[in-house]
Amino acid sequence: MSTLRALQQRTLQAVLDDKPPRLRELRGDGLANASSRMDVYRQGYRIRLRTALEAEFPGLRLLAGKRFERLLESYVAAHPSGHYNIRWHGAGLAAFLEYARPWCARPALAEMARLDWLISTAFDAADEAAVSAMDLAGVPAVAWADLHLRAQAHLQIVPFTRNVEAFRRAADADGPRPRLRRHRRPRHLLVWRQALAVRYRPVEDDEHCALTAAMRDESFALLCDRMAEHHGPANASRRMAQLLRRWLDDGLMAGWRLQQDSM
Amino acid sequence: MIASIPRSLPCLGYGLGLRVEYYEALLEHPGPVEWLEIVSENYMVPGGRPLVWLDRFRQRFPLAMHGVSLSIGSTDPLDDGYLARLAALAHRIEPAWISDHLCWTGVQGVNLHDLMPLPYTEEALAHVVERVSQVQEVLGRRILLENVSSYIRFADAQLTEWEFLSAVAERADCLILLDINNIHVSAHNHGFSPLDYLDGVPAARVQQFHLAGHEQGGPLLIDTHDAPVVDAVWQLYVEAVSRFGRVSTMIERDDHMPPLAELLAELEHARRLAAPLLQDAA
Repeated sequence: MSTLRALQQRTLQAVLDDKPPRLRELRGDGLANASSRMDVYRQGYRIRLRTALEAEFPGLRLLAGKRFERLLESYVAAHPSGHYNIRWHGAGLAAFLEYARPWCARPALAEMARLDWLISTAFDAADEAAVSAMDLAGVPAVAWADLHLRAQAHLQIVPFTRNVEAFRRAADADGPRPRLRRHRRPRHLLVWRQALAVRYRPVEDDEHCALTAAMRDESFALLCDRMAEHHGPANASRRMAQLLRRWLDDGLMAGWRLQQDSM
Repeated sequence: MIASIPRSLPCLGYGLGLRVEYYEALLEHPGPVEWLEIVSENYMVPGGRPLVWLDRFRQRFPLAMHGVSLSIGSTDPLDDGYLARLAALAHRIEPAWISDHLCWTGVQGVNLHDLMPLPYTEEALAHVVERVSQVQEVLGRRILLENVSSYIRFADAQLTEWEFLSAVAERADCLILLDINNIHVSAHNHGFSPLDYLDGVPAARVQQFHLAGHEQGGPLLIDTHDAPVVDAVWQLYVEAVSRFGRVSTMIERDDHMPPLAELLAELEHARRLAAPLLQDAA
């Protein structure tokens, strides 16, 4: 190992460790000793990561309240940053809260972190044009059964057991802390970006079923079959048309094609 | 007065660091801002709002790219993915130049998100020179390297900081972004003369100046970019202009963001200080 590499490894540990050994390579002077000079980097690392995480997790900040600072400190201590963009250190926070004590005892924290992070990543996800109702106006009536829709690549549908979206909305609006509620059964939230605005909303069971089917590249005919399971054959097409209209208005779809399903 | 020093890249005049807080104000009232420096990593993203704004500014201003994560001095391998994204961004906006820092930001896959100083040794010099050459080959252009503020120094240093910076620039054939505030901060923290620093840097390789504020953290000065430029740094800027002549200059502000007018006033101050020294320079 080169002298330079060994020095960098020891310096790295001196920044990361809570009680680092003295680095004999460092020189202090009458202005400041080596240890207090090193503290500038040690403190700076922790402050920078905490500041970056605070910006990415406003919902979690509101939900965790006074615990937020300690929560971030424990995450930063357990997980050194590995990405060149400091913001991406947030990618592992939800998983950390899911398994690390004492945070794992409050599942709402991990759920909140997951929603905050989905919103953060949608913010600068790749741009795709949105399909409009006008784009589909020319599809012949007989061909609709063979229509396959392609959702925006960044679109996410995630189950939540708590009303974490209320905390995010309150945080964005600088509003009061809502009351945390547990759903009787998991509800799905849809997170996506429409043009430049990140949006999220709950989806009902039938929409979740149809939208995930569309994301699996199922044809429009199959989507209607799935609606029939929820609403009966007589109402399936009408409900599917309603959903499609909303998907197009929301800019959820990035493409479409006509292709017969293979038998 | 100072004679004109030939340089390979154009002088862009007086600019600012592009920050979200000033997006709208800069487009509506750019005032005397002649160019903008972006933080490269903020725009190395797949899409969305950052790139939309960047394209708007690209239409209105010359841009320079300034990175914080190249980690040119690290003993980890260069990050090919990072370099590819950096090159893609450069292809998109065709910046006047691309800069980063003469430092290392991490090792063993860990990123400290800080500008860690190098030991100023022959071993580190050879290592950095080799990597600058690799980066310049990937990007197809010469890069600028900036001197960092530092709080530690290594006992086995064989060169001064300015000797190290100059040797990297000469041997790797790269250019220099001279941060005047960083010279002031490090000179205070390590007890060297900032004028010795200026005198030791090859003038023809100095392509850009940074000006910024700092704070007093106990006995040390800390490079925080959260306050106005102090008088001592303005005085050092005058010394720099008297040595290096007409050099693209910009104000960096990253925290405690004031109204844009305050930064524009600082920019005007820089212009007024430099003007008498540059009257005869081309």
